[in-house]
Amino acid sequence: MPVTDSVQPSLLEVEHVGKHFPGVRALHDVSLTLRAGEVHALVGQNGAGKSTLVKCISGVHPPDEGRIVFEGREITTYSPKHAYDIGIAVVHQRPQLLPGLSVTENVLLGHYPTFGGAIVDRKQGIERTRALLERFRLDIDPLAPVARLAPPERQQVAIAKALYRDAKLVILDEPTAALDAERSERLFAFIRDLTEANVGVLYVSHHLEEVFGLADLVTVLRDGELVATRPTGELTQDEVVTLMAGRRLEVVRGAGAKVAEGRKTALEIEHLQTDVLHDVDFDVHEGEVVGITGVIGAGGHEIARIIFGLDRPAAGRVLLAGKPYESRGPKQSIANGVFLVPEDLARDGLVPEMSIAGNVTLVDLGSITRYGVISLARERAVARRFVNELSIATSSIDTPVRNLSGGNQQKVLLAKALTAEASLLVLEEPTQGVDVHAKAEIHRIVRDLAAQGKGVMVISSDVRDLLLFVDRVIALRAGRIVGDTAAADTSYAQLLDLTVGAAGAVA
Amino acid sequence: MSSESGTGATPVDVQRRSLLGRLRVDIYAVWPIAVMILIIIVTALRSSRYLTVFNFENILSQIAPLGIVTMGQAVLLISGGLDLSVGYNIALSSIVTGLLLEHGYPLWLAIAAGVGAATGVGFCNGVLVAQNRAHPFIITLGVSLFLFGLDTQLTGGAPVNDMKGLYTAFGGNLPPGFPFFGLPSLTIPFVIVILLAFAFLRWTPLGRRAYAIGGNEEAAYLSGIPVKRTKIYLYTIMGAIVGLAGMCLAGEINEASFNLAQNFELESIACAVIGGTALFGGRGGAFRSLQGVALWGIVLNAIVFAGLSSNYQQMALGAIIVVAVMVTRAQR
Repeated sequence: MPVTDSVQPSLLEVEHVGKHFPGVRALHDVSLTLRAGEVHALVGQNGAGKSTLVKCISGVHPPDEGRIVFEGREITTYSPKHAYDIGIAVVHQRPQLLPGLSVTENVLLGHYPTFGGAIVDRKQGIERTRALLERFRLDIDPLAPVARLAPPERQQVAIAKALYRDAKLVILDEPTAALDAERSERLFAFIRDLTEANVGVLYVSHHLEEVFGLADLVTVLRDGELVATRPTGELTQDEVVTLMAGRRLEVVRGAGAKVAEGRKTALEIEHLQTDVLHDVDFDVHEGEVVGITGVIGAGGHEIARIIFGLDRPAAGRVLLAGKPYESRGPKQSIANGVFLVPEDLARDGLVPEMSIAGNVTLVDLGSITRYGVISLARERAVARRFVNELSIATSSIDTPVRNLSGGNQQKVLLAKALTAEASLLVLEEPTQGVDVHAKAEIHRIVRDLAAQGKGVMVISSDVRDLLLFVDRVIALRAGRIVGDTAAADTSYAQLLDLTVGAAGAVA
Repeated sequence: MSSESGTGATPVDVQRRSLLGRLRVDIYAVWPIAVMILIIIVTALRSSRYLTVFNFENILSQIAPLGIVTMGQAVLLISGGLDLSVGYNIALSSIVTGLLLEHGYPLWLAIAAGVGAATGVGFCNGVLVAQNRAHPFIITLGVSLFLFGLDTQLTGGAPVNDMKGLYTAFGGNLPPGFPFFGLPSLTIPFVIVILLAFAFLRWTPLGRRAYAIGGNEEAAYLSGIPVKRTKIYLYTIMGAIVGLAGMCLAGEINEASFNLAQNFELESIACAVIGGTALFGGRGGAFRSLQGVALWGIVLNAIVFAGLSSNYQQMALGAIIVVAVMVTRAQR
């Protein structure tokens, strides 16, 4: 494997690239060099700029500053199609294939061999696909429908599709988040075969073990800036975690550690067991804000679903205010004082065409209804109260929520929780995709809710943000609790170490 | 006419809009009325017999059964559903009532059985739609084919030609003078259904749940709304409305047969969509859908006055549907 062989010409050169979005500096002066036949890992926390950089390279966003050179030529046309045409292919965690079609049809899509351009040469198509799969030792039936393949095989098909079109650079975006160890191993073997064929690989991942097992070079981004590019052999996992965390942002909170003492428990989770979770056990007290963090797939989402009655655990139980509780669905959960603010608001949380007032009161239509008739006056009173209380920025409570910003939509959901008079709130990624100002407001609202005696559970992969407003942090890794400490007693670096670094792996 | 919102899902939307904002929205919301006025003016200029009370009574009685069904269809569309079985379900209710009358059963029992049968079909539609992940399009299409067979089996293909008391009730006109002015009898059930549909969507929790499910089913579910039960209620209500429409139609033309209400399923969906109710849920209203019904009736009638064959009716209606969809898109 050529590591830093300077004789090998570089395949991709990212030179001083910067990218701004309204109110956010996503990338600043980032440079990176990738040679053919090399695996280059890109690591960094959420919001570090990894996906923005990938989007610049793959033509989704043109960079505002700097330039990108591919095979010695500067890229001037930024479009995903152009990037694909010149040999840059991005394979996402969930590759975009046509599930109803066969592997062959997916690989050859739009480039099927034909007789005279009119009639598809099925036989030759299958043969070409088979040859391609065999060359990379992929044990996949070219005739199998993609829908029947396992996730790693789908990723391999997506890569094969790119290779068929002469991809010279394959960007793998978080490829193993959905894979188990054995399947990941197979994907790695395949990636090594790719480098043998002189393909360059840019590997974006949270999982540092993988990075160290696979990559020749690792580039660390933090807050949109380049921190370091080093050969993996010259670094330890701990050093990478330190680079990812930086020093200036270690947050240590003063108060809050003793909040739980002497309070009643709002929620007790006892020995939860599912195919993802392993013996998860913790409490949330009244008036306490508990953060749960981990990389995608670590299990936070699964815990939330069980508490809200969307999934049932294989073993273990949930107690609400000291009493055993098993919910058959959201209706029952809400009646029991539990409210979930889901991660994807647009998809799961709000009715976009409906007004703020309509959305806010949806959880408890009964309270605004008398003798079977909704009182519009009462509805408006309820909505107006919460719009004021949470300072939702809108000219009118009649505005459809689709016209609101992400931060305000998040607040409408919190208003729903207030309407539902929930005593336990489960918030999934509450500050994802909202601006700094809205984040601060959401922090304040969550603290206010806790001050009213509610138990709050915040599931977030943004550790730094979490440390700003929670009392306690639980670190999850591969479905197990690897840390449970007062926010004051831990740090960003420590949590990072637990969730992605070496410390959690030992625990 | 339209006190409902232009774009928002809940009816409370309009009240605080500025005058200018309201005008802008209304261009989209009331275009069917504008087209109607245009047609009325043009036709009136060409024919002296057009602008008569008799002619508009005629349009009213012609459109009332379809209008009744459209109100129910609009509610289902708003909730993200639809019912393709209405045509043969109307026929079923008329046949059940007609056969019972033929065998000398009292009118009230025959009507109860007819409306009950249609309501039962609606309940079945609701259960099937709620329990399956298949689209209501295919489920209610299947139910529709089933009903077609059932209808022809029950009648042996021959219509029941004497609806007795039902004809007396719905076949004629109301007394002249105040308060009914000799309007067609069907005006009464039609107006009642319109007002109920409006009130249902605006002031009842069930109506609100319909908007929520049609607007975002997952969000509605996570908000604790009993999605399945709500769907069953809505389809059952639709069944009852269809039964009422069956009584109206059978009484009006004094006949019960399997092809009593052919094309009602598609025409009712078309009317609701022309009025601005979204085909895939979340938006729409009773009065808006009513505009579609009114335009439908005016166009059918105007083409007769223009001396054109009924083939042109179909062409004109088809064109209106396409225009309606384009207007709805432009509005976004």
